[in-house]
Amino acid sequence: MQARFFFSEALNSLVKNWVMSVAAIVTVLVSMFILGLGTILFFNFQNAFSDLRNSLRVEVFMKNTASPEKIQELGQEIEAMPEVRDVEFVSKEDALSKLRESLEGHEDLLEAISGNPLPPSYVITLRDPDSIDVVASRFFDNPLVDNTPGTHDGVKYAKETSEKVLSVTTYFFIGGTGFVVLLILASILLISNTIRLSIFARRREVEIMRLVGATNWFIRWPFIMEGVMTGMAGAAAAVALILLANNFLIESVVSKMPFFFKTGTVPLFWIVLIVIMGGTLLGSGGSGLALRRFLKI
Amino acid sequence: MIIFDHVSKMYDPNIMGLEDVNVHIERGEFAFLVGHSGSGKSTFIRLLLKEFEPTEGTITVAGRNLQRMRRGTVPYHRRNIGCVFQDFKLLPNKTVADNVAYALRVTGQPERAIRRKVPEILQLVGLGEKMYNIPDELSAGEQQRVSVARAFVNHPSLLVADEPTGNLDPDTSVGIMQLLYRINRTGTTVVMATHDREMVDKMRKRVIALENGKVIRDEDKGLYR
Repeated sequence: MQARFFFSEALNSLVKNWVMSVAAIVTVLVSMFILGLGTILFFNFQNAFSDLRNSLRVEVFMKNTASPEKIQELGQEIEAMPEVRDVEFVSKEDALSKLRESLEGHEDLLEAISGNPLPPSYVITLRDPDSIDVVASRFFDNPLVDNTPGTHDGVKYAKETSEKVLSVTTYFFIGGTGFVVLLILASILLISNTIRLSIFARRREVEIMRLVGATNWFIRWPFIMEGVMTGMAGAAAAVALILLANNFLIESVVSKMPFFFKTGTVPLFWIVLIVIMGGTLLGSGGSGLALRRFLKI
Repeated sequence: MIIFDHVSKMYDPNIMGLEDVNVHIERGEFAFLVGHSGSGKSTFIRLLLKEFEPTEGTITVAGRNLQRMRRGTVPYHRRNIGCVFQDFKLLPNKTVADNVAYALRVTGQPERAIRRKVPEILQLVGLGEKMYNIPDELSAGEQQRVSVARAFVNHPSLLVADEPTGNLDPDTSVGIMQLLYRINRTGTTVVMATHDREMVDKMRKRVIALENGKVIRDEDKGLYR
């Protein structure tokens, strides 16, 4: 009934102002394409980085003089810390055999050392890599830990690596979000401009509509539909391009770098859904803006 | 049907649209509003349509006080008033049939009723053959017939016409007047602003003469003078 009438009115207007419509559709397409692609990249890198981050560990070296009971007590203490996911005890003997492994072929080097000078240690894996500083600092003043006085070299943790990894992910996220926000603003403005032009072209028509007793919503609906259709058209095109890009570009890169990326970690379905909904929202937002500003009824 | 009670309309502190107008038009009446350009005829009509508010006084149309009407109900008020204008106010990119159908669609009439009523009314105004033309392909007289058809298709109780024959030659004007007369005969109140002296004199209907926003004469079966 009326919905069909509104729809055909909106479609007519889209076709008649096709240059502006195409411009608006392309803007939605570009912004939604970048949003979708950015999200896919974000997920890929996020997964890769989170692997990297999760491999960050704290190593705590004991004094050789520490008694086994005390060392065991410390182990229980560490295990009880809420930030700690896993703790592994490396005894003096374990340490030596590890060293021996890594020196394979050069065992003669060890013969220069008498006995076993290597300290026992705890290797701590964290639940949240962000807490690495907090956890590490707890051992700085521990008398059991083999710190050279005045330093805390008995605690080994990749402070700088962890900070770099954390900041790269953060900048990556902030920069991407900013860019997408800018694009979204641009598409809202373009859509609202398109709708504004079509309102302007039809202002006589709007006047006549009012004279014959059209309610405000009767006048608004075609314009809103026009915006939504623009948004959806742009989003649909963006989805097609995103899927193409993902299948032929990203996936092939990802699968060639299995040491860094993992395949199958991207929730494609949700991304498609978000892009479609985003486009539609852009469309209705743009037309809403135009209606508010230019259709004072 | 229409009561203007001490109605004044000031556009600017200096520009008087209407000044202390008292007019009472009965249901089913045919009334001419005459006067020069700027005498207040259009102001009268636009007040009826509640396009704006009077500065003073009250206007009652079909028993409803326009000043007390909520904004949201204005569209419903306008659906009870058919309008015909000098410049036709047709939608240029819609066919004749779609133009008339518009007035029905606005009221939410079902498509079936629209498909029945539109050809019927176009037949009535003598444009049955031109349903699918666009307004530009029609003569001025024909366009005004479309506009009359659109004004009447909802069978409003009041029809207002603002110089409907202003752009038409005398013969064509007679045709439009005959249409309005026939519409009036169905019981519809017709208020027509005009300065077509010949037409007014021929019709011998009520004449309300305006000058500088004031009613200077109001007589039944009057002449333009």
